[in-house]
Amino acid sequence: MPAVETGRHHTSYRSEQRLWHTRPQIVRMALLAVAAAVLPFVLDNYWLAIANTALIAAIGAIGLNILVGYTGQISLGQGGFLAVGAFTTAILTDRAGVPAPLSILAAVVLTAAVGVIVGLPALRLKGLYLAIATLASQMVIIFIVRRWGFLTEGQGFVDVSRLEVFGFRIERTTFEQQWYVILLVITILVALTATNLFRTSVGRSFMAVRDQDIAASAMGVNLTRTKLTAFALSNAYVGLAGALLAHYTEIISWEKFTIDVSITYLAMIIVGGMGSVAGAVYGAVFITLLPVVVRMLADVLGGVAPVLSRQLPAFEHAAFGLVIIVFLIFEPRGLNRIWQRIKDYFGFWPFRY
Amino acid sequence: MTHSQKSTRRHSRLIASAALASASLMVLSACGSGDASSADSDEPIPIGIIADRSGATGDVGAPYNDGMLAYIEQLNAAGGIEGREIEAHSNDYAYEIPQAEELYRRYVNDGVVAIMGWGTGDTEALRTRVANDELPFMSGSFSEELTVPEESPYNFLVAPTYSDQMRVALNWIAQDAGGETGVAVLHNDSPFGTSPVADGEAWVEEQGLDIDYVSHAMPAGTTNFAGVLSQVDSAGAEYIVVQNVASPAAQLARDLAAQGGEQKIICLNWCGNELFITSAGDAAEGHLMVQPIAPISAEKPGHEAIAAYLEEQGQDSESAGVSYVQGWYTMHVMAEGIRHTLEAGEDLTGAAIRESLETMGAVDTGEVIGGGPVEFSPESHRGSVASNVYEVQDGRMVEVEAGATP
Repeated sequence: MPAVETGRHHTSYRSEQRLWHTRPQIVRMALLAVAAAVLPFVLDNYWLAIANTALIAAIGAIGLNILVGYTGQISLGQGGFLAVGAFTTAILTDRAGVPAPLSILAAVVLTAAVGVIVGLPALRLKGLYLAIATLASQMVIIFIVRRWGFLTEGQGFVDVSRLEVFGFRIERTTFEQQWYVILLVITILVALTATNLFRTSVGRSFMAVRDQDIAASAMGVNLTRTKLTAFALSNAYVGLAGALLAHYTEIISWEKFTIDVSITYLAMIIVGGMGSVAGAVYGAVFITLLPVVVRMLADVLGGVAPVLSRQLPAFEHAAFGLVIIVFLIFEPRGLNRIWQRIKDYFGFWPFRY
Repeated sequence: MTHSQKSTRRHSRLIASAALASASLMVLSACGSGDASSADSDEPIPIGIIADRSGATGDVGAPYNDGMLAYIEQLNAAGGIEGREIEAHSNDYAYEIPQAEELYRRYVNDGVVAIMGWGTGDTEALRTRVANDELPFMSGSFSEELTVPEESPYNFLVAPTYSDQMRVALNWIAQDAGGETGVAVLHNDSPFGTSPVADGEAWVEEQGLDIDYVSHAMPAGTTNFAGVLSQVDSAGAEYIVVQNVASPAAQLARDLAAQGGEQKIICLNWCGNELFITSAGDAAEGHLMVQPIAPISAEKPGHEAIAAYLEEQGQDSESAGVSYVQGWYTMHVMAEGIRHTLEAGEDLTGAAIRESLETMGAVDTGEVIGGGPVEFSPESHRGSVASNVYEVQDGRMVEVEAGATP
């Protein structure tokens, strides 16, 4: 909570329970809403596609942040969990003819169930050991997706037909625009539910486990139930992201869910800010835009330094690594913390604090 | 009404209006952009190229890309197509599928009329997209799944599929062994690698070939294939069919030679090239290749244009490998489709180019691809079925069988 919010006294429970208390907060949210609404009219399809990718990433990153940022259970299995969501919805819709909303729901439930199974080792493992255990789940899931031929009918990929919801079918000409609206609405719902989660006792028990699990259990928090709930909830969001990815890209193969994806998502929450819903969104947008910006820079500087455009993928990796290191050293709490500091700076101006 | 209630109401009104605004977008979505696609335009023809120059398959991807760009340069220098130059947008995606998708979206937004892709992974990942966006797509991937127009209406394969190459290899093996034998298929651990594996097994059964067929993935990033080779040995295989790119295949040949293994390696399209021979050195001797593209050393009529171009650039024509030639002629086939569309006076759209490719008849490749013409039809996007079999002798690809079909 930014320091400017201190000193506010609530006179009713309703006022205390509101998500946004101060006028600047409401103004910012209104501006954000206007910006989000204007976006599809000002961006061309290419940039809108990037926005859509960022929105899906934001959903996945919020999910991962529930587990890593809020509950302190590190996970390297993100790519695998996304794959569970994506393949579940793709196979159900493509082969069994299940309507997309139902198959997405099934993907969410199944990914959550997988999360519970994968979360079992977390009852005994912590830190680095848990990281390796979740890494194993990533490998196992990808192995299954690659080697169990019936999943992809031996093709290695699954086609997903154009999204159709209750007779409404995405059109080709306005594909990105319509997807943007769908993804925006879902992302807002996800962000709201996740924010509210941490105002409930369940969410608070997650944070208690993160801060000190022994103390939490002494206070009566059931560690087993809390950790498994965290895995299930986190994975439900991740499964949703995976399912949306499948419908959005209309074709999925295991190559979209490798360990690189898991690491990219971890980078998103590191850069954005651990233990913050807004941070997960900032991080998702930042990491999605990073390669695009590097590529644009290379195009601009390509005339001066042709090596930039020739070795572009290498520079993209370098930029990615550099960003993570810089954030870990200078602001481990990420973009969200930087944004709070900016707000505090102006809030207290002309005083320092 | 207290202050807090008032502000709550104002607040909920705010949310409601935001929701309304976003819902109205559903209806109001904007669309479309102008283009240079009309028939009598003399604007350059934009084409998107997704290339792997620095990734896992960069060893053959870079020369393939060079070949394409060289063809375009040569074509533009000669006046382009119907007076219109080709404007190539070529970018490296390092064999990373998300990068390919990102590039693809950018090309679509730039209004390209065709896409030249590269690997099986990106070709399959973009398959439905190119169909929806109506953009003809040719790539270095010859996965059999892509040849059915109902499923992949905009994918065109200039050369025989990997599965056809595998069938030719198996036929040749059955003949060479003259009796019961064992074949181990070692493949890249990706959709590209696994593409012909099951079809090969089915072929053995279907044709009643006396072949004991096993397959193993070649672990990526390994410096030594001893483990895989011992599996090959224990399976009793006498032939190894490799579906991988040149560098790992050459490593395999060297490890095989170091172990004193007797097996014969048969390289399919992407390792059957000069790079395999130069990287493996003496270890390449006596191994075979099933390669639909004729190497420049074969001196087919179609190679003259490439040799002339390279000479003009002050380069040795021998420096062009099979992958370079393949890139050149893949681009040539697409360019011929564009030429036919323009000559027919039609608007230059993806759909029109597709129709041209399907109906314009054979494209002459001067005996370079599959020993002759590349022809598509509305029923089949399999441009060619014939491959050549080469043997490595004294560091050169020597033709042992031409125009072999399954």
